[in-house]
Amino acid sequence: MNEEKKHLWIPYLMVLPAFAVMMLVVVLPILNTVMQSFQTEGGSFTLENYQYFFTSQEAFNSLVFTVIEAVSTMLLAILFSFLLALYLRFSKSRISRVIGRLYLLPRFIPGIVAVYAVMNIIKDAGFINRFLQLFGIVYKPGLLYDMKGIILCNLWFNIPFSAMLLSAALSSVADSYVESARDAGCSWWKILRQIIWPLVYKDVIVAATFILMGQIGAFTIPYLTGPNNPKMLGILLYQQVNTYLNYQRAAALSVLMFIICLGGAIVYIKSNMKEEVWEKGK
Amino acid sequence: MKRLYYGLGKRKFLEWILLAVFLLFFYGPLFHMLTLSFAGDYEYPDAVPHTFSLKWWDYILSKGQMVESIGTSLVLAIVVTVVSLLICLPAAYAIARYSFKGRGMVRLSFLLTNAFPKMGIYTAMAVIFYKLNLMGTFVGVVLVHIVNTMMFMVWIPSGAFRTVHIQQEESARDVGASSMRVFFKITMPMAWPGIVVASLYTFLGSMEEAQGSLLIGLPNVHTMPSELYGVIMSFPDTAGAVFAIILLIPSILLLIVFRKYLSAEALSNGFKM
Repeated sequence: MNEEKKHLWIPYLMVLPAFAVMMLVVVLPILNTVMQSFQTEGGSFTLENYQYFFTSQEAFNSLVFTVIEAVSTMLLAILFSFLLALYLRFSKSRISRVIGRLYLLPRFIPGIVAVYAVMNIIKDAGFINRFLQLFGIVYKPGLLYDMKGIILCNLWFNIPFSAMLLSAALSSVADSYVESARDAGCSWWKILRQIIWPLVYKDVIVAATFILMGQIGAFTIPYLTGPNNPKMLGILLYQQVNTYLNYQRAAALSVLMFIICLGGAIVYIKSNMKEEVWEKGK
Repeated sequence: MKRLYYGLGKRKFLEWILLAVFLLFFYGPLFHMLTLSFAGDYEYPDAVPHTFSLKWWDYILSKGQMVESIGTSLVLAIVVTVVSLLICLPAAYAIARYSFKGRGMVRLSFLLTNAFPKMGIYTAMAVIFYKLNLMGTFVGVVLVHIVNTMMFMVWIPSGAFRTVHIQQEESARDVGASSMRVFFKITMPMAWPGIVVASLYTFLGSMEEAQGSLLIGLPNVHTMPSELYGVIMSFPDTAGAVFAIILLIPSILLLIVFRKYLSAEALSNGFKM
């Protein structure tokens, strides 16, 4: 005990470098942003930066567009990845092993490369269009520079990402649980709802939170594949910085987007905290 | 088709369809890009290039700034990984082993990085970096990249350290090993898989970061992803494909080398508190 007391400062010393960097590159910039958002260009206090976004039709359209995009991406990604993860967990065939090896790769492909690759397929003069012309069909997919394009690119990244989280969670579902439920005459639907779901819903929340948060601030994918109007919030923010050079407004928008994300983060923290309490009791 | 269906049986048939859809959706675009990069003639209605050649590879490799950006990106990714290992591993160990005041705060602050829009952080960073003369410098870009990967570098190793029983460390210390020796001979090897996964996230995260590098690094530091933005906007698809493939190579090589560490479980650790 005495020994531990003596070294009380050691953990602080170990955390210090990481904490210092964190202060410099995250905390200070965030505080700076919050302060800027309440200032005029001259530095006096104002709420005008926030008012602008609450009264601007463009900002409202962007918000609606972003929320629809984010929620559809999240729902589609969770649905497909859940099915994929279930298949990977419960099928023992060769094909499932092959897919099990290949599905992790997209998570690690540089984002911009993958977006570019998908763009070349779906754009109006892309592979889909050219391939169908071989059969004499002239078809313009109209996917690029549209919400569908953004969602499609995002699914490319987020299905593997959330399948990864969910299959990790599903590995905690022992075969014996499922088998014994089968023996007792449960239907697959009932097993899914009453045995599998309670064990994985927390990870579904984790995946959903990260997908949603990623969409709210997303830049690369909407910048390259999204429409000009209405645009995603990330693009609106980029324009405030790069086109209008209005840092105070950009700051206000950052804070607003942060608040939106925080809604998701709270659900995430809550669902994780429960586990903490449970672990403590162990 | 019908013959295939009855030949394989319903279950097998559906599985093959699943495999086909999976490969088309996830690997089709990459394969298509690979084909384009070796194109010779590729005019509008061609689905695949008419002739194949290496001329776009020559074209890209003759552009000085692009070749330079390949080197910059690789050096940058290595520096970022090493620096974040040095900074974050002690923190990860402390979080795993000691319960001290403010531990919860440390954990929360890592989540904040993900909730706050990146563009907002980068813009404010730019303001601070101007004052510190870090704009357009290599160090500035290293710091930007660390923002994105710090969470992985602390969480995953921290989880890995927690799986090493404290008794194992104590028994080594009891027979006279120094703390340093205990860490490098006992703790580190056992936590190795977690450290590898975190380093991979960091390295590949640095290889793909474009926004922050553009904002902080220009006009002096050009990385591959930030160059690729320009390439996508203004070069023909075939040239863009070559550059994109070059950017893919390190990721794929690393994933193959370290594949035994990459399980869904290990990779998921960074996302849970």
